[in-house]
Amino acid sequence: MRITERRKLLIYKLLLFVFAFVLAFMPSTASRNLEVNSRVIVEMLGIDGADEIELTAQYVMPTDTPDATTKDKVTVKAKSITEAVEALNTALGRRAELGQCSVIVAGKDIKPDVLGTLMNATDVTANVYLTAASDKASDAVGDITEFMKKTGATEADFIAYSTKQAHVATVTILNFLSDLGSASKTAYMPIIEMIKEEGGSGGGQSGGGQSGGSDGQSGGGGSGEQKKEPVGMKVEKLALYNNDGRVGELESSAARGVAWISAPIENGVVVSKVKYKGDEYDVSARLLDKSVSIDVLPKKNRAVINLTATVQPNCDKFNVLEAKKDKKTKAAIKAGFSEAIKKEMKAAYEDSLALGLDPLFVGQQFYRFEPDFFEKGYELGNTKVVFNVNVLLK
Amino acid sequence: MAQSNVNEKQINSTAQSDKEAQKTPGKTTETKQSTSKQLIVVVFILSLATKLYLLPIYLIQMTGRDAYIALSIEVAFDLIALGLLLAAIMLAGDKSFFELLEEVIGKVGAKIFVAFVALFLFFKLNISAAETSTFYSDNVFADFDAPFMIIVLLIFLGSVANHTLRSLCRINELMAPIVALGIVMLIAIVIATGFDFANIFPAMRNGLDFRRAMMRNAAWIGDFTPLVLFIGRTKTKKHTAVFAAASGTVGSAVVVFFGIVLCAAFGNIKNFADSCTNISNILQFSIGNVYGRIDLLSSILWSVSAFIETALFFYATCRCVEYVIGRNIHFWVGLSLCVILYFLQVFAMTDPTIFSTVASCIPTAVMTPVFAILIPALALISAIVVRKRDKKQSEQGSENEAEK
Repeated sequence: MRITERRKLLIYKLLLFVFAFVLAFMPSTASRNLEVNSRVIVEMLGIDGADEIELTAQYVMPTDTPDATTKDKVTVKAKSITEAVEALNTALGRRAELGQCSVIVAGKDIKPDVLGTLMNATDVTANVYLTAASDKASDAVGDITEFMKKTGATEADFIAYSTKQAHVATVTILNFLSDLGSASKTAYMPIIEMIKEEGGSGGGQSGGGQSGGSDGQSGGGGSGEQKKEPVGMKVEKLALYNNDGRVGELESSAARGVAWISAPIENGVVVSKVKYKGDEYDVSARLLDKSVSIDVLPKKNRAVINLTATVQPNCDKFNVLEAKKDKKTKAAIKAGFSEAIKKEMKAAYEDSLALGLDPLFVGQQFYRFEPDFFEKGYELGNTKVVFNVNVLLK
Repeated sequence: MAQSNVNEKQINSTAQSDKEAQKTPGKTTETKQSTSKQLIVVVFILSLATKLYLLPIYLIQMTGRDAYIALSIEVAFDLIALGLLLAAIMLAGDKSFFELLEEVIGKVGAKIFVAFVALFLFFKLNISAAETSTFYSDNVFADFDAPFMIIVLLIFLGSVANHTLRSLCRINELMAPIVALGIVMLIAIVIATGFDFANIFPAMRNGLDFRRAMMRNAAWIGDFTPLVLFIGRTKTKKHTAVFAAASGTVGSAVVVFFGIVLCAAFGNIKNFADSCTNISNILQFSIGNVYGRIDLLSSILWSVSAFIETALFFYATCRCVEYVIGRNIHFWVGLSLCVILYFLQVFAMTDPTIFSTVASCIPTAVMTPVFAILIPALALISAIVVRKRDKKQSEQGSENEAEK
């Protein structure tokens, strides 16, 4: 009987061996080229178009040289976003790995549902960061690619800085769609702009989509015009969206107001005018920490936005004030910063109200905690919004 | 040297008794096969496993941000079943589940009931196997060849069927730290992300959708049922039940926590949640990670628990079938169940429509909660009845001796 048990064990071992052998040498495994330089990794996508989708991919491809990669871009056109992704595979001659894509640049005219399809029907993950182009995403991706090639910066650097270090309201594709699906029906994306300077001659403008072809390279066929080359990036404005698409933009001050409430900013810089004994001092500070809450009071039809910000002032003007070491000076500094922050938040609320949008998500807060009032009596613009800013100095 | 010889003899005698026990269905001539610690670990794994896969997504698709409430109710239901099972384990002494049933409802009654238990376990086995392959095909492999990859799972299951509960408990003990590591990694990422948890409000705005979600997702109830095999086979200590209950509660709390995270993420956009959605891929870049898919690594680690749960269901099904047919032919029963499981998985359960129909039909909605509670309840009642009867008999025996 023991021999039977041994035989069974032997059969299992043999089966395992056969399975491992088949797995290793079956046609689909053996024919698959697993060399890393046969892969194309898409790092950034740009999407343009409403009726016809124009998809621009910034991709990296490993080269034969150790530790070296080439970075370039390609633009394809198709009727839908899923077809565009297929066209991208064809244009690159292999399956584009979208799972590593970490930034999507949205063109001015795209519809938000395109982003939903991109998240659901492709390998793009829900946590990819979104940014808006002031006009065409293909141009922005072209400029960013040029800039990254020139400086060696990566999209990882861009994300790491923008998400927490800069005073920018960043957003992922999942958060964008969630905001749009919220009771406030409003979503935003930071607008990325390139700082350009006059560069060398030849080449013509970078960017601009050619179906199925790589067009990110400069040089060749010189028209003799001076080419403006990207030398840096600027993220100051916010693009506001409703379910139909981009509705408008918030300028710098209002965009900062949204960031105070929505983004996990940690080290943004705040500048305020501090009034003290008739004189006015420009004092700058670095934000160390912030916490936000929105209280809704349906009986008074009022919302109170409470912000507590811990800042660390540091400049010669502050040092002059700090030297006085009295309570009045500290109160003046706090009041100055409080006023500056309040001004930005008010600008965010009022400018977006003019567009019929709610990027501070006051409506959503009413829906979450006073759903009956929201369904029967809430209307954007009829609610009084009060800003309560408390500044702590470190 | 002498000590090592003694240990070797002990191991050999234990293995021998295991093998002897395997030859007599329903009899526990074998020694205790699970330690108290192993039971606690098994409870933890069963509490997590498949409840972290597709269930939260199906609930979100039907009831939106209230999915975590529905999930909590299902988890609470299972915790009640766990309580009954642990009480049965503590009260049963050396008698197995089959022996207890035989003593209370007779051999024929026990066989009929165990046949239904086997069917229920086989149904649950199919659900967990289908979920595991769906997770890997949609999230891990770009080209997932289901008919081929299921064979990998079946080889594992076939080997489980031919071994003892002790072997399964040891595998479980080995894998549990890996599962715990995966879970801890995901929790750390969630905490670092700072989710907007307020998005789970307002609660219960659509009672009809909630009731429908509860009815159509009852197939995930009853995850602790394989623990009936631990009755009479576990070396219990004074606080075994307390620690096992705590382990199940912690695992269930983890499930509800991840359910809340998914509700906060998809509460506004329930139509965007699909089988590709899982707790890991919504967190990929949340801590500024753009250097690789650490999220995928962590999800593969915790997905090990689903393999173990599937193995436990398979093992329990095999033993129930063997009891019903009255023969302990592990190899042939294991092989037959593997073949049936293969055809069901490849030709039915991998089809999302069939899977969804089977998992959400009315008979499933009614029978699953009934069996999930009935099996542990009957085990506990049997344990109490047999215990009282044995006590009475021993008292009568001692009285008779005293009279003599």
